[in-house]
Amino acid sequence: MPTPSSTSAAAELASDLPDGRRERVIRPPVFSPAAAFHSMAALPDHWDLFYTLTLHRIRVRYKQSLLGPAWAVLQPLATLGVLTVVFSYIARMPTGGVPYALFALAGLVPWICFTNAVTTSTQSLVSHAQLVTRVYFPREIVPLTYVSAAAVDGAITGVLLLLLMAYYGVAPGPSVWLAVPILLLLLALITGFALAAAATNVRFRDVGVAMPVALQLLFFASPIAYPLETVPARVAGLYMLNPVVGIIENFRRVMLDAGPLHAPSLTVSIVWAALLLPAAYAWFKQVEATAADVV
Amino acid sequence: MSWDVRCVDVGKRYRVSAAPRRRSLADLFSRPSRDVWALRHITFDVERGGVLGVIGPNGAGKSTLLKLLSGITAPGEGEIRIRGRIAALIEVGSGFHPELTGRENVFLSGTILGMRRREIAARLDSIADFAGIGAYLDVPVKWYSSGMYVRLGFAVAAHLEADVLLVDEVLAVGDAEFQARCLRRIQELRDRGVTIVFISHDLGTVERMCRRAILLRAGRIAAEGDARDVVTRYQRLVTDGVLTAGGAPAEDRAVAITGLAVLDAEARPACVARSGDAVTLELAMQVARPIEDAVVQVMIYSYEEGTLLSECTTPAGGITLRPGDAAVRFDIESLPLLAGAYTLGAIVRPRDSQRAIDWWFGRTTLHVEGGPPTHGHLALPYRWSLARVSEPDAVRSR
Repeated sequence: MPTPSSTSAAAELASDLPDGRRERVIRPPVFSPAAAFHSMAALPDHWDLFYTLTLHRIRVRYKQSLLGPAWAVLQPLATLGVLTVVFSYIARMPTGGVPYALFALAGLVPWICFTNAVTTSTQSLVSHAQLVTRVYFPREIVPLTYVSAAAVDGAITGVLLLLLMAYYGVAPGPSVWLAVPILLLLLALITGFALAAAATNVRFRDVGVAMPVALQLLFFASPIAYPLETVPARVAGLYMLNPVVGIIENFRRVMLDAGPLHAPSLTVSIVWAALLLPAAYAWFKQVEATAADVV
Repeated sequence: MSWDVRCVDVGKRYRVSAAPRRRSLADLFSRPSRDVWALRHITFDVERGGVLGVIGPNGAGKSTLLKLLSGITAPGEGEIRIRGRIAALIEVGSGFHPELTGRENVFLSGTILGMRRREIAARLDSIADFAGIGAYLDVPVKWYSSGMYVRLGFAVAAHLEADVLLVDEVLAVGDAEFQARCLRRIQELRDRGVTIVFISHDLGTVERMCRRAILLRAGRIAAEGDARDVVTRYQRLVTDGVLTAGGAPAEDRAVAITGLAVLDAEARPACVARSGDAVTLELAMQVARPIEDAVVQVMIYSYEEGTLLSECTTPAGGITLRPGDAAVRFDIESLPLLAGAYTLGAIVRPRDSQRAIDWWFGRTTLHVEGGPPTHGHLALPYRWSLARVSEPDAVRSR
């Protein structure tokens, strides 16, 4: 029976022996993109673990709660309710003719996915200390399963968005297919942040403490509750450096047929993802080698 | 010889600071730290199909070595090579989620250990059987007793297909009967040609399970070689200054005990026996000078408390031992011990003295698997029959 051979925490080379066995070489860790690439190539061997753990996250989350899976819908609805009350009844937010609830929900879909994934994966290695110190498996699987569970949350919110669009009679425009690459970009960005936060939190627990505050800040520094146009021109340059601006703004535009792509912010998001994801993975593998000693 | 596990000059360094567990940015700048080598200059091979025992006092680096071999943490220097699929026989119940059923948790921890879902599905019955949880497989594990929980966690690990198996302190897990079952499982794997690294405090089991052993002491290899010799070295280390040997130095002794073994009905050495089995306790000795009034005794103690349960002894009048190799055998027709772990000890003394010529303690462990009875303190050998008072000629059955 073909069996997976784990790539270990340390820098390592695997080679096949004449009898079909694989020889693993474990050496002190070195920071090397080549080693990181090598471990990434071995990830498909662990598909079963990834699948089982993802299933586990989804199953376990609402166990022993009265409302159960309904929470997956109630949570985004509650946020949406708050935003709608504040920004369409108390303060009037110009949304270019789009009903405010729809406007806000279109921004919340990528945001909920992002914030859930980053929050849960930050603590993921530390909260799995029992496993991390006793069994070896590629550690990135742990934050990655939180990312995929958050993607499920995002999908549920996405269905809500479609329902609300139907309710208001808003049809998606011809460029709606662009939502797919935009969401893939979001996934790359989320994965980068999740890996970096999980790894860094192993060494410095400050990350876990600071994360809720940072995410709250990021929420208000992203065009979720308000449109991008309302951002004052003198801070726009700085504002655009936020990696999620490009995703949220452009996702809303393609879903609600609200104007052409906003290229500058989208470019920033792409550059972020392209730089962050490989760097975060290499950093993660570096920390992973000795994570069991410090979690 | 072809090897499956090779360590070359492996070392592991830990940074010790005042607050090693709470890391924060502030610590990075303020705390002085120093390095401590938990392991250093570790070099050994385990040949294919070999069983290497790793013994040593607490804190000698045994568990660190296991973590390095399994890839849980990376070495600070040196190189480890492992050929084939590696598995660690450890209790992974800690990876269980209380709200999930036993079945779901088996899949969860099985995949964590590196099994495919397909493989797990194929072995599910066998795993449930091994753990002895049968009907509870679809019950959330939060309703399990702690024993069931631990057994299920361990059973998953026991069903890994591996070329190289790492075993850490298997006897710390579960009740006595389950421990015996685990040992038997390890024996099976050994006989099937799996390469094993066996870490244990249980010297007797190491001695019988392993051909070779290494003794770790303060992170270095203090002794390496034939398992019997290494265990002896370790025992000298432990007993020196703790127990005073009963007699003169080994070379001056009239009789030196060289081994105490449990043999099964076919006279093969056995680690595990069953209640009611016919077993033989064999004490091997080297007799240097003839002695006419020797009394030879083998004692059986409970493993946990060390209570003396019973002893076998040669006649009080003394027996004659002639120079050369000798063996005293005590044949037990029906082992009266219940499931559990037992320690055997032996002593050779002159008829009129309690001063030992030589003694043997703490090295021979006997694991007993249960048969009936399952309650009480001993397994009496008995036959039963059905008799009716009114009819004296009733059919008797055995």
